[in-house]
Amino acid sequence: MTLYLYGIIDSSDPIKESLYGLEGAGVYNVSFCDIGAVVSEISQPIQNVTEVAILEHETVIEKLMANFVVLPARFQTIIDGRDNLRSIMQSCYKDFKENLARVRNRLEFGIKVIWPADKVKENIIQTLKEGRPWPAEPDCSANKRFIRGKLETYQINEKFKKKANKFIDAMDIFFSKFAAEKKLKRLKTENLLLDAVYLVEKNKESDFRDAFEHIKSAHEGFKFLFSGPWPPYNFVILPKKNDLLKESEKKDLFDKVIQHREPVGAREIWQ
Amino acid sequence: MAINSVVETDFPEEFVEEIEKSQDILPRKIDANPKNVEKGLAKLVLTLIELIRKLLEKQAMRRVEAGSLSDEQIENVGETLMKLENKMEELKEIFGLKDEELNLNLGPLGNLM
Repeated sequence: MTLYLYGIIDSSDPIKESLYGLEGAGVYNVSFCDIGAVVSEISQPIQNVTEVAILEHETVIEKLMANFVVLPARFQTIIDGRDNLRSIMQSCYKDFKENLARVRNRLEFGIKVIWPADKVKENIIQTLKEGRPWPAEPDCSANKRFIRGKLETYQINEKFKKKANKFIDAMDIFFSKFAAEKKLKRLKTENLLLDAVYLVEKNKESDFRDAFEHIKSAHEGFKFLFSGPWPPYNFVILPKKNDLLKESEKKDLFDKVIQHREPVGAREIWQ
Repeated sequence: MAINSVVETDFPEEFVEEIEKSQDILPRKIDANPKNVEKGLAKLVLTLIELIRKLLEKQAMRRVEAGSLSDEQIENVGETLMKLENKMEELKEIFGLKDEELNLNLGPLGNLM
C-alpha cells in the first residue's frame, strides 16, 4: 500500500473531522507514541503536478493546523507501505518531537522584495566614475585593458552586493524583532533583493505585519510581497538518513511505546 | 478552520517573473540520456572549470584593487585570464552551451554560481 504523507502532528488521536486529500482520498492519522503521521492511501504516485493537487495538499495541512501542531511534508511525499512509515517514525521520532516543539504556536510568513536594480547600478557606476576616473591609456596593452575592464565590472558588482546587503540588513533587523527564526535568500536574481521566510509567534503576528507595513512605506521605489501565515514548510529540520537513534534513545523510545500502549491501544499505534 | 493564508502585493506579475527567472537558472536534475550524455558531461566539467576560473578572476581582481601586483604581474594575469576566457568561449560553442547553463543546483545550498 502506498501512503501519501501530508505531515506529522503532535497527536496520536484519530482525526475527528472528515478530511479528504489528494484525489478525494480519506485522510487519517497513523499514530506512533504520542505523535502521528497524517496520510491517505493512493494507488499510484502522483503523475502530474497540478495546481489542484497542490491546493488539496495545502488545504489538508491548513485544516490540521486548526487543531494540531503540524510539520508539513513536502508536496508529493510518498511512503511505500506502513512498515516504511513505521521505520521513518521510529528513526526520526526525536527530531519530529524537537521540530514540533520549535514550531508550536508559530507561523511562517514570507517576504519578497524587488528593488530598482538598474537604477542602483547606474548610481554605482556614476559614483565610481566621479570618485576615481578610469581614463583610457592609449599605450596600454591588450592584457592590461582586459584587466581594467574586469576590474570595473568587479568593483561595480561588489558595490552592488554591498548596497543590497545594507538594505537587506536594515529590513531584517526590523522583521527579526518579531520573529523567532528566519531564512534569508539574498539577490536570487539582480532584481529580487530579498526572498525571506520568518517563523513568527502567533501572538506577534500583528506586530510582524505592522513592521512589514512600516518597512514598505519607508522604501519608495521598492516592490513588496507579503504572504502567510503558512504552515512552517521552511522550518522543519530533517535528520540525515544515517542520523539514526543511539541505543539509549532506542530504549527511551521503546519505553514510550510501552507507556502509550494502554491509552492508545496497541492496535491503534499502527492502524 | 483553515489558517487563511494570503499573498499581498501590488506587483504580482513582476514577482512571478522574478521567481520564474530564479528557478529557470538551471534544472534540478541533469537530463542525461544516451543521446546527450556527451553534452551533459561537458556541461558538468565546464561548470566546474568556470567556477575555478571565476574564483581565480575574483582573487586576481582583489589583488589588482589592493595594488599588490606589479605591472609585469598584471600583464601576466591579464594574458592568462583572457586566454582562459577565450578558451571557455570556444568550448561553450563546441558543446552548444550558454553562460546561464553553466551552473549547478546544490539543493539547500543554492546554486553553485
